[in-house]
Amino acid sequence: MRVLSQARTAPGHHGRVARLLIVEDDDRIRLSLKMALEDEGYTVKDVPTAEEGLADHAANPADLVLVDLMLPGMDGFDCIRSLRKLGDVPIVVVSARDDTHDVVAALEAGADDYVVKPVAVKELSARLRALKRRARGSGGDAPKTLRFGEIELRPEAGEVQLGEDPVHLTRTEFRLLCELADQQGRVLSRQQLLDRVWGYEVFGDDRLVDVHVGRLRRKIERDPANPKHLLTVRGLGYKLQA
Amino acid sequence: MKRLGLRARVTAVFALGALALSTALSSVAYQITRQNLLTERERTLVRSAYFDAVIVREGLRAENPAISEVLRGLDTGETRRPVLRREGQWFSRSADTGITDSIPVALQRLVSEGTPGTQRVDLDGEPAFVVGVPLDEVDTGFYEVTTLAELERTFNVLATVLGVAALGTTLAGAALGVYASRRVLEPLTGVARAADEIATGDISARVARDTDPDLDRLAVAFNSMVDAVQAKADADRRFAGDVSHELRSPLQTLSAATSVLARRRDSLEPRTAAAVDLLTEEVTRFEQLVSDLLVLSRSDLPAERRPTDVVGLVRGIARQRGLTEEQIEVTGDGSRPEVDQRRFEQILVNLLDNADRHGGGAVRVGICTDPVLVRLEVDDEGPGVPPDERELVFDRFARGRAASARGGTDGTGLGLALVKQHALAHRGSVQIADRPGGGARFVVELPAREGS
Repeated sequence: MRVLSQARTAPGHHGRVARLLIVEDDDRIRLSLKMALEDEGYTVKDVPTAEEGLADHAANPADLVLVDLMLPGMDGFDCIRSLRKLGDVPIVVVSARDDTHDVVAALEAGADDYVVKPVAVKELSARLRALKRRARGSGGDAPKTLRFGEIELRPEAGEVQLGEDPVHLTRTEFRLLCELADQQGRVLSRQQLLDRVWGYEVFGDDRLVDVHVGRLRRKIERDPANPKHLLTVRGLGYKLQA
Repeated sequence: MKRLGLRARVTAVFALGALALSTALSSVAYQITRQNLLTERERTLVRSAYFDAVIVREGLRAENPAISEVLRGLDTGETRRPVLRREGQWFSRSADTGITDSIPVALQRLVSEGTPGTQRVDLDGEPAFVVGVPLDEVDTGFYEVTTLAELERTFNVLATVLGVAALGTTLAGAALGVYASRRVLEPLTGVARAADEIATGDISARVARDTDPDLDRLAVAFNSMVDAVQAKADADRRFAGDVSHELRSPLQTLSAATSVLARRRDSLEPRTAAAVDLLTEEVTRFEQLVSDLLVLSRSDLPAERRPTDVVGLVRGIARQRGLTEEQIEVTGDGSRPEVDQRRFEQILVNLLDNADRHGGGAVRVGICTDPVLVRLEVDDEGPGVPPDERELVFDRFARGRAASARGGTDGTGLGLALVKQHALAHRGSVQIADRPGGGARFVVELPAREGS
């Protein structure tokens, strides 16, 4: 019998049930994940290939995407890159591979998080929830503008500008920037960023932070190789300064 | 008694050999030289005595000779002291009175019977030489007593020089022994060092090739042995990695499907619900096992050290595991050691798991940091670990005898093995002690940075 969505936990925002796209070529994994995540309250669309996933997302944009890396035809990395071109939908890689090379390549391609099979449904669900959370505003009613040198950030509006040019950030990049901006030049450790941005209280993967910081620098720094604003503080973490 | 090392023995043999040889040579040289010098000297003295005897005889031919004057007239140099015995009475130069006592009676008799003779005697504690020459008058003997002290001093100097030379030769022999043994054992030192490094986890250690073909064989043989061992270890690790990797996909299905079942547990009949519980439990354990196996298959890779807030990590994990602030003991200077964060996390989590399974839960976590060492302690109030099992529990799948005695067979059997592997990857250690007040204390010590 087909298990229907129970929508008890209602992970979607604005009352809408979140739509989840699973791109996974292994039928058994795909089906079991679909059932388990439907139990968690998502509307799940599952496809076995990257091509079908992209077509589906283009026709009917998902709120979250789970992608396997080893896919027939177009592989997971290309799938992530293509999805990124379409928008900032949060992408979680679910892969049996966990060597650094794959993790970093997937994150560089644009994935927001990376979990290794087998992942418990509870854990996966927590990851998805964290990515769905809206960037935390700095509070206050008036739309606030934060400035760090040439970088202009409006947390409530979700807008970033570098000089005159608008910068397009993914949801995760934007949250990372907001968390750093919130600290006004104080250092945030990787662990703190993992907690605040990705919702990992412990056991987060530093590579998530490092790769995302790298991606962010390429968008908000004039010279990403010699950053002036988003700085690495060796042994401590990162900070954003004017 | 502790047996001496090969190097010490080689050195000792060289030194003793040199000592024996140089002593023998020195003694022979001394004896020959001494003999030659003595013989030469005595011959000279005899000749001089005869010469002087002729002069004395001439002097005695005079009427009523002044014997002392005759003796004084001799050119005897400083060392020869002439005396004359005539008709039972001694005559000598005034300066030489008293030396007549040293002339042996046997020699006097010989001379008085008309036979010349010589004898070595003792003169006031110094060696001396007496030459006795009968003069052609009845019962008159001419003697010359010569002290050999000067010659004796020469012999002493000679003996000293030869002794020093022998000592020098011995030392040189010992030095040669040290050098030779070091040279010969040098490749062994290299092999020992490499073996040590391999034993402490650096499987890439190799012995430098030697230029000497005889010694090079050792290096080559050792290196190829390590290569073979490493290839075998790599193959094992790859196999373990491949197996766990292949298990991951089906496990993902099992895990997700089981969670679908578990979600409906309450609406299942009791028998089915019990089966679902078993399934959930075992799938969880299976996941952990596969994950541990994968980590273990990679754990002999070097640790990826980075400055890490270990105190924050320990606090976070310990709190999450339900320990109170009082149970988390932070000491040291709070410096940030360079450790592999993921390995460090796993060390703590596995020790906490172990305390849960076998020790009734952790009652204290201690973290002490200083610029040199990170020390992590996890205490439980369980039955403790008997001293003879304290090594065994770190073996893979060591749950059998040692652990079941500690009251549990759940877990993967890899947790403590991983703790040990992670500690070794940092060139650190893990030990079990008795907790004061009962229970076990697991102590992990990691150098705070590479090579410290």
